[in-house]
Amino acid sequence: MRVVMRIARSAAVALPALLAGTQAVSQSGTVPSATDLTAEIQALKLEYEARIRALETQLSTIEAKSRAVEREAASPVRRAKSTLDNAFNPSIGIVLDGRYASFSAEESAIPGFATGHESERAPEGLSLGHSEVTASGNIDDKFRGNLTLGLGAHPGEATEVELEEAYVQTLPGAGLPEGMRIKTGRALWTFGYLNEQHAHGDDFADRPLPYRAFLDNTFNDDGVELSFVLPSALYSEVGGGLFRGDDTPFGGSDNGLRARSVYARIGGDIGRDAAWRIGGYLLDGKSLNRGGGGHAHGHEEVAHEEEHEDEHEEEHEDEHAHEEVHEDEHGEDFAGFFSGGAFSGDTQLYGIDVRFAVAPTGNARESEVVLQAEYFWRKEDGTYALAEEEEDGMEHLEELRTDSIAHGWYIQGVYKPLPRWRIGARYAWLSPPDGAEIDHDPHAFGMMVDWTNSEFGRVRLQYNHEALDGHEKDNQFILQYVMSLGAHAAHSF
Amino acid sequence: MSRHLARALLAALAVIVPACAAADARVFACEPEWAALAGEIGGDNVTVYSATHGRQDAHYIRARPSLIAQVRRADIVFCSGAELEVGWLPLLMERGARREVQPGQPGHLMAADHVEVMERPERIDRSLGDIHPSGNPHVHLDPDNVARLAVELAGRLARVDPANEGAYRSRLADFQARWGTATKRWRARAEGLRGMKVVVHHAAWAYLLGWTGLDRVATLERTPGVPPTASHLRRLVERVRTTSADAILLAPHHRGDAADWLSQRTGVPVVELPFTVGGRDEASDLFALFDVTLTLLEEANNRP
Ligand SMILES: [Zn+2]
Repeated sequence: MRVVMRIARSAAVALPALLAGTQAVSQSGTVPSATDLTAEIQALKLEYEARIRALETQLSTIEAKSRAVEREAASPVRRAKSTLDNAFNPSIGIVLDGRYASFSAEESAIPGFATGHESERAPEGLSLGHSEVTASGNIDDKFRGNLTLGLGAHPGEATEVELEEAYVQTLPGAGLPEGMRIKTGRALWTFGYLNEQHAHGDDFADRPLPYRAFLDNTFNDDGVELSFVLPSALYSEVGGGLFRGDDTPFGGSDNGLRARSVYARIGGDIGRDAAWRIGGYLLDGKSLNRGGGGHAHGHEEVAHEEEHEDEHEEEHEDEHAHEEVHEDEHGEDFAGFFSGGAFSGDTQLYGIDVRFAVAPTGNARESEVVLQAEYFWRKEDGTYALAEEEEDGMEHLEELRTDSIAHGWYIQGVYKPLPRWRIGARYAWLSPPDGAEIDHDPHAFGMMVDWTNSEFGRVRLQYNHEALDGHEKDNQFILQYVMSLGAHAAHSF
Repeated sequence: MSRHLARALLAALAVIVPACAAADARVFACEPEWAALAGEIGGDNVTVYSATHGRQDAHYIRARPSLIAQVRRADIVFCSGAELEVGWLPLLMERGARREVQPGQPGHLMAADHVEVMERPERIDRSLGDIHPSGNPHVHLDPDNVARLAVELAGRLARVDPANEGAYRSRLADFQARWGTATKRWRARAEGLRGMKVVVHHAAWAYLLGWTGLDRVATLERTPGVPPTASHLRRLVERVRTTSADAILLAPHHRGDAADWLSQRTGVPVVELPFTVGGRDEASDLFALFDVTLTLLEEANNRP
């Protein structure tokens, strides 16, 4: 701006001088006396000088004004925005995730649980993990929006685009009671510690067993959630939501309002450099043929339908009779129903999470220890339906009535000895649904080491030892990179 | 008798009521220097909470639960701004903060919005580092900036807690008198330091260097926020030797290994300055912060 002004000013000086010159030449044609000429030139000169001076004053006023504008532009109110918002609206973030994996076992299913596409073991060899594109920004002073697309590249298949999140949430300016927030759409809802996080922010390359078994990695159903941070000295937050009931642990919602949640959590500091948080969560809802997408037969069409009773009270009262029914009629285990069947009924999933972080110098970026554990407990009351092809070529739908309990937990610790290096260990354990009569408890142990160049680039090597089915042990090596461009989420606890 | 009782009750009320009101204004300060200033101006009319302590790097703080709880109850959020706290403050504000402390409100006070910000970059690219996109946010090491913020804070306190406006105004006047005298003293001392050659770790010292007239001959972090690389350090050895630097300045929250490495190879001493209130035990308030800083610089400068 100022440079332009300076050029303008020199032009303003040069132009009249040039004009004065041409005028002098043209006048010389009429041959006036030398003194006349000198006087005239003198007069012209004076006139132009006056004009130049006037121009210069005008220019300097303009310049002063522009400087004032510049100052204003840099003034508080405008700058304050950039402190809390991104320069671009919406801000775009991209996460690139790639990995090389090697596994010793052919299969990696968790007996007694129907795990979906999301929580499957990564493909062997070189593959793209879970790339992500996020656009988010404040819509106005009252709302904030976020859209996250997950791009799953499964070798040999078309790239899968998953709408991971698409939500609108209220901002403190929305006029709700203080501390209250409403979020609606599809989001990584509040349940446990990891569910709210995007997978690329995890400390390990894969989610721990309870997440894979109970949530198919994440619960991001369509719904609405209300949360409330209480005005207490101790951090305390309560909340709850209503959901469609279409995502694991639910599925096949017909009326679109079949699940709900409640949660509460508290947290605080211990001394100057340690912090903790504990939470309790409940997801409660109905499923209608969850995981039954592959079996198109409705109940009416089924030629032959059998029912199994798996009531636990009965089982304890008369275990032998039950065993007989099981052995005689089918000669197969119940586990198949749980891992391959379609579930209809009620599910309650309880969760507890604990997190403790200590940074010896107060600077988590330098050195830090984080301990984290979660426990999930699930009760399912309903029916598992499994389509089976029999000798006559007909498909029969067999049903297993169940009221079963499954639970699982994991505990992990991550230590950052140096600013760029972290090492971590994790142990996870599952107890399959008691009705599935699986005598092996799937468990897994993992270790990782990762190197972080900046906040935006990380390379990780992970080793997993999984004993999921009691026969085969899976030794896994995963080399992973996670890089992010553009906007990234803040450093949450 | 009853009149005496009533009078005693009234007297007690006169004491208790302002005492209750005294706890009314809560200041959430992102850094210890602003917490200290809030203490100077607010006195016992405010409750001050500092999100960080003197040995913490305010660029990198986790939005931990206790901070959410504190922001939730704050009447004024007082931070450096200029994106120093961009990694954690927005999350706190979104999660816990009241309307009254949101941007544009009187309860939202960002220091960098009220002073001349140095080192504004012409282009923003993460390859240039990730932490000073709006210029250098470490504005508190210039006493004039502190003075400006004192005035601004007193005004904000008066707005959020009008009942105690008089107290804030008088404390401001008292602070200004003391600060003015101290600033004169510091400027005189700084004259003796003019031209002292220093190596800095991070751009954290720009404002201190500005008013003291110290001469920065090298920076360990080639880009703000990215730890010094070995190759960059090797190049620095020569430059530090030839310019005969007097000191390598280090803040308490910076790792000393790069500075020590350079010091061993060049013989230039590492001087750990407090950087903020509580950065060293002696730097117990804003006045001591500047006194101690100048004393340490003078010691390094007078070394033969
Ligand atoms: Zn900085």
